[in-house]
Amino acid sequence: MASAHSDSRISADHIPVKLVIAGPFGVGKTTIVDALSEIRPLNTEEVLTQAGTLVDDLTGVNEKTTTTTAIDFGRLTLPGVVLYLFGAPGQTRFQVLWNELVRGALGVLVLADTRRIDDSFAVLDLVESAGIRYAVAVNHFPDSPDYPPDVLRKALDLDLRTPLVVCDARDPASARAALIALVEHIRELVLS
Amino acid sequence: MMSGRERRRVVPDYMAAARVTVPEHINVERTTLVYIAPDAATNGLDPPASHLLALLQDGPLSVYECAAHLGLPYCVVRLLVAGLVGGGTLLTRDPPVVDMPDIEILELVLSGLRAL
Repeated sequence: MASAHSDSRISADHIPVKLVIAGPFGVGKTTIVDALSEIRPLNTEEVLTQAGTLVDDLTGVNEKTTTTTAIDFGRLTLPGVVLYLFGAPGQTRFQVLWNELVRGALGVLVLADTRRIDDSFAVLDLVESAGIRYAVAVNHFPDSPDYPPDVLRKALDLDLRTPLVVCDARDPASARAALIALVEHIRELVLS
Repeated sequence: MMSGRERRRVVPDYMAAARVTVPEHINVERTTLVYIAPDAATNGLDPPASHLLALLQDGPLSVYECAAHLGLPYCVVRLLVAGLVGGGTLLTRDPPVVDMPDIEILELVLSGLRAL
């Protein structure tokens, strides 16, 4: 059972803190959770309701009224706190699950891909309707076009105060820098 | 360790929580930290509960991690944990649920991330 605990031991004094990483399909949520997590990323089943059945192909299983999805989940133990990272699916059909995931979360890191910027709108809508603090991290792929930050900001219709960072989701240091930008932003909001 | 999907189950997942009585005031969520109560009686538990306790032998884990390691859906493990908390076997540390995050927690997260 040693695999469940890794080298970083959590004690009952650690405060559990939840951070959500959201983004469209294929944007690198699994990759960034993997880069940040001290444990091998885990996933478990989440039950979805009928809403998903129109989209998820359930041909041949007519009686089925629920479907399941897996959520990426990672952990990072820091002095005094243990960060739990959830890679959340960004489609609106996951609304109920999404609401549950962001409840009590410190904030959301929205991952975007400049090759498919339109795909991020649904996620940003979810984040904004939940009223949760967030930052946007553009995951830079080798063939991503380079846009200046103000162009990206305009394309995503971001508030000037919302942090926009470029990161490489595969690189732990770069992924951490994106998280730091998010937490600094939250701190500013709390202090203001 | 095999996950639930790799192993063919003879007993349906929901049976893991079938005998559990969950007190209404106990609320367990994904990131609730769970650990074994120091004076807990750990014998005489049914198999899902003993697997959970074996997992927690080395220290606290979140409910979500327990679900992943047990290969059971989160909704089932949540009930299992709540039942064991109600029976005094497990203790929990709840994540803070407030509209505005605590500044001390934010500073801990920031300094921790920067020190990595």
